[in-house]
Amino acid sequence: MAGSKMVSLRSARQHSIRIAAAVFLLPALLFLIVYVAYPIVESFITSTMAWNGMGRKRVFTGAENWINLAKDINFWRAFGNNVKIMFLSLVFQVPFAMALATFLDVTERRGAVFKVVWFIPYLISSVAIGVLFKYTLDANYGVIASISKLFGGGGVDLLGNPRIALYTVIGVVCWQYIPFYMVLYLAAYGTIPVELYEAASIDGATRSQYFWRVSLPLLRPTIVSGMTLSIIGSLKYFDLIFVMTGGGPGVSTELMATYMYKLSFVRYNMGYGATVASGMFILITLVALIVISTLNRKTEL
Amino acid sequence: MSLKRILFLGLLTVMAAGLVFAAGGSQASGGSANSLEIWSIQTTGKGPGIFERAVARFTADNPTIKANLTMIVNDAYKQKIAVALASGQTPDAFLSWSGGPMYEYAKNGSIVDLTSYMNANNYKDKFLDAAIAQATYQGKIWGLPMQNVSVCTVFYNKELFAKYNIAVPTTIRELEAACDTLKKNGITPFSLANKTQWTGSMYFMFLATRRGGTQPFINAVDGSGTFLDPAFIYAGEKLQEWVNKGYFNTGFNGLDEDSGQARQILYRGEAAMHIMGSWFNSSALTESPEFAAKMGIFKFPRDEQGSGNPNTVIGTVGDNFYHVASSSKNQAKAFELISHLIDDNGIADALDDGRIPPVKGVKLSDPILAELFGQVQAAPDIQLWYDQSLSPEVADVHKVTSQEIFGGTLSPRAAAQQLQDAQAAYLKKK
Repeated sequence: MAGSKMVSLRSARQHSIRIAAAVFLLPALLFLIVYVAYPIVESFITSTMAWNGMGRKRVFTGAENWINLAKDINFWRAFGNNVKIMFLSLVFQVPFAMALATFLDVTERRGAVFKVVWFIPYLISSVAIGVLFKYTLDANYGVIASISKLFGGGGVDLLGNPRIALYTVIGVVCWQYIPFYMVLYLAAYGTIPVELYEAASIDGATRSQYFWRVSLPLLRPTIVSGMTLSIIGSLKYFDLIFVMTGGGPGVSTELMATYMYKLSFVRYNMGYGATVASGMFILITLVALIVISTLNRKTEL
Repeated sequence: MSLKRILFLGLLTVMAAGLVFAAGGSQASGGSANSLEIWSIQTTGKGPGIFERAVARFTADNPTIKANLTMIVNDAYKQKIAVALASGQTPDAFLSWSGGPMYEYAKNGSIVDLTSYMNANNYKDKFLDAAIAQATYQGKIWGLPMQNVSVCTVFYNKELFAKYNIAVPTTIRELEAACDTLKKNGITPFSLANKTQWTGSMYFMFLATRRGGTQPFINAVDGSGTFLDPAFIYAGEKLQEWVNKGYFNTGFNGLDEDSGQARQILYRGEAAMHIMGSWFNSSALTESPEFAAKMGIFKFPRDEQGSGNPNTVIGTVGDNFYHVASSSKNQAKAFELISHLIDDNGIADALDDGRIPPVKGVKLSDPILAELFGQVQAAPDIQLWYDQSLSPEVADVHKVTSQEIFGGTLSPRAAAQQLQDAQAAYLKKK
């Protein structure tokens, strides 16, 4: 008898917990619907329209925008630029950030000043960095051009040369984001128990073995999440590049996001701009799913 | 958990949600009848003061109305107004540069037809005829010509020209000879910041217009001709030739006009010429009085093999046309507000700032402006900036392709083809 009463008490309790949970989740859910789900649905709807972004005149055109998108060389070129940024960001950011974090972990308190100095780039807003580098890289009076002139060279054109501009921009992106990953790895270092290093030292491990055999395997989950963030971030990049080059010269640094912006707000073609936005949404989701599933599988092995 | 507590939390949630929507709702309205919002882009030099005084004069006449002036930097403004129009949160009065975007606003009913206001008491006779013509679209006047007559011309450093014994060139061949002399002496002939794109377009427009006159452009726009016209191909080829000869400063495609990256080269005396709109006169006076003292202007030279009239001027007769938004709750007062910008005090202020207001009978004391106004009065016709005459979609293609011509990543013919395709697609859509 006593047992059955206990069960009904517990289920009553669970019932009230569920209600409370629903009540607490409701505001968050509302925000998600209003600010995330609704805009996504709305851009998919707009992507089937011819609309200049002003007024109420929207004409349904079905799949026309989507067919154009599939054939749009400029969009695929922009996607290619995004992929280049993604690839080079991974190649440079992960090892660099790892090296900095390792240095800070090894030096402990003695390196505290570097912890602050190296983190500064990440604290500056992207737009400010863009303006800053526009002057720093000025082909005639920028830092690099001035150094070149000092040694008898001429101006150095890093942002205006269509063959170089994208790589210059990637360099600045790395400069901005390496501190973020550095902090991420540094935090992960903090979770490695000291006992493991002690055990390794008893086993006679060398310094490099500390890193390769102890730290790296334990940092792996963090590296995976860092890479995932970097990949998704590279695909939706906008602000810094928009300020520095505006997607130019020509279309050499055009990204999916800058292209979308220009279509929607410069060319007054909001319908097609929404198609590009929706295309981006699909591509980024696909890439993210693939990356997350493959990288996670590797860590489990 | 008690029922009372659940009810309390539920109520809290509803209230929070209500707040969110209330905040969204109040922002969407276009102001009240007693307050007017006006946007301007005159952020440099004496510009802000001129606008603030005009608004103060309006407020003195209309003490019950609160007029709010917002100053926005040029390129940021273009973005902000596009977003404002798209979301229906337009200010009561704002500007455009006439041409393509203004036609879009008019077609959409975003701005008010000002014809009746302009005809009242023959108000429109105060303005230059060409300025009114430019504010007119489909027989109606949509904007009040407010700012300066702005045309582009060649600004040059007189001291450098004298030092190297260079006479003011009157033909393209003489201009090239001048460039070669400058180059030989380590001076960059032209300073250019072409990240901004419309800056390079000025060179393209001048070359094409001197070669073929204004007709090829008119024909290409209405579809009776094309952008593959020899005049446009020639302009592109000439530009690439000039780039290859080193007539422009290093890195021009990465430099930003709005940040003054080209003007700096000119002020330092490292470049001798600068093709720019007449507003440059006022920039030079405030930014580098030393340079302004050595500054002269000349007409873009005649093309010996061209059929274009060498007196044709490129630019606008009155840029910054102020519009009244159709969403404004007090359109008559909004019009009164913008007309205060160009009352007698406003005209005096503009002249004092080295600008040419688009009204009849002004006397110019600034020698450069007087010379420029002379160029305008001698002009048989005026070629409106390409990027303003074209629809926004095609204009962007023009700007990107002309930047690519400068960068050497696109041949003049391929650029012309892209532009033609864009224009053809636009005409088909219409």
